[in-house]
Amino acid sequence: MASSQELSDFLHDVERRAFKQTVYAVRDEHASLDIVQDAMMKLAEKYADKPVAEYPMLFQRILQNTMRDYWRRQKVRNLWTTLLSSFGAGENGEEDRDPLDTIDVGDESENPMGQLERSQTMQMIEKALEKLPARQREAFVLRYWEDMDVAETASLMGCSQGSVKTHCSRAVHTMAALLEKQGLGSRALANLGVES
Amino acid sequence: MTINHETIEDTEGVNFKDADLQGKQIAGLLDAHAKRLSMRTLKQLEIGRARAVKAHAQHISGVSTNKDGTLSGIFAWAQHHRIASTGLILGAIITGVVLVQAFGQQQASDAYLLGADLPPEAFVDRGFEPSLNDGKLEL
Repeated sequence: MASSQELSDFLHDVERRAFKQTVYAVRDEHASLDIVQDAMMKLAEKYADKPVAEYPMLFQRILQNTMRDYWRRQKVRNLWTTLLSSFGAGENGEEDRDPLDTIDVGDESENPMGQLERSQTMQMIEKALEKLPARQREAFVLRYWEDMDVAETASLMGCSQGSVKTHCSRAVHTMAALLEKQGLGSRALANLGVES
Repeated sequence: MTINHETIEDTEGVNFKDADLQGKQIAGLLDAHAKRLSMRTLKQLEIGRARAVKAHAQHISGVSTNKDGTLSGIFAWAQHHRIASTGLILGAIITGVVLVQAFGQQQASDAYLLGADLPPEAFVDRGFEPSLNDGKLEL
């Protein structure tokens, strides 16, 4: 059984990645925060007696299922919103902005031009990732970002290892083609400080 | 980050080793970028983590509490939305059936009263039914 400190350390390690992965999947930061927090609670409450070594797989499974639940609820909500939209008044699009929302916490040592270039590159990559079909994105994230092997990814996704390889290959090629079109080939990516 | 590179080629002739290398490069960038989150997001994640750790500690100690800090007891099932909503729907169905039956009985007794040869006052008289059962009453 994992101790509370081990759980805390594990969640601290994965929470940022989990949040970004969820944002790429659901494209809503507030909903993503809710999903990640729900997944954390479910892991703590339902799998408290599991060893910490099993937490990465369990957490990913919970996270993916919580995302699917969110999509199902959204589907129903969108249906009702569409049906009732003709009766309601238009929403006021102006929302109060909090400066805390836009302050990034990161390495400030890089020069402004470098930060800008990196930020633009990341925007392209994020858009490319968002455009991928859900299964390809899931395979890519689990296989390369979560560093799982093919068998683990297949087990989590509930498909064969061959399907995982195909999803990953197609995802990488789609993203590489999109980045190449923007002048960001594998060499350019390597120059941005990514070790391969 | 360590990845086992397969050199297997799929039916389309794509080398998975190259795909793995490119995938790893892109994931490396995403990983670096994920560290740059807004302060508010980090705070929210920290709050979520603290809640989860607290729930874990309570689960280990065997004492569970609700979100408002009260001890969860016999109404703990109410926290589970599916169980609670199923219970509410079943309760509504049972209440509806009971009400329909009660209303049906009332209608039947009204129809009997109106269709009887005796005046309604006879049914109000307490001695009427025993006398009717004893056969002493002659119509």
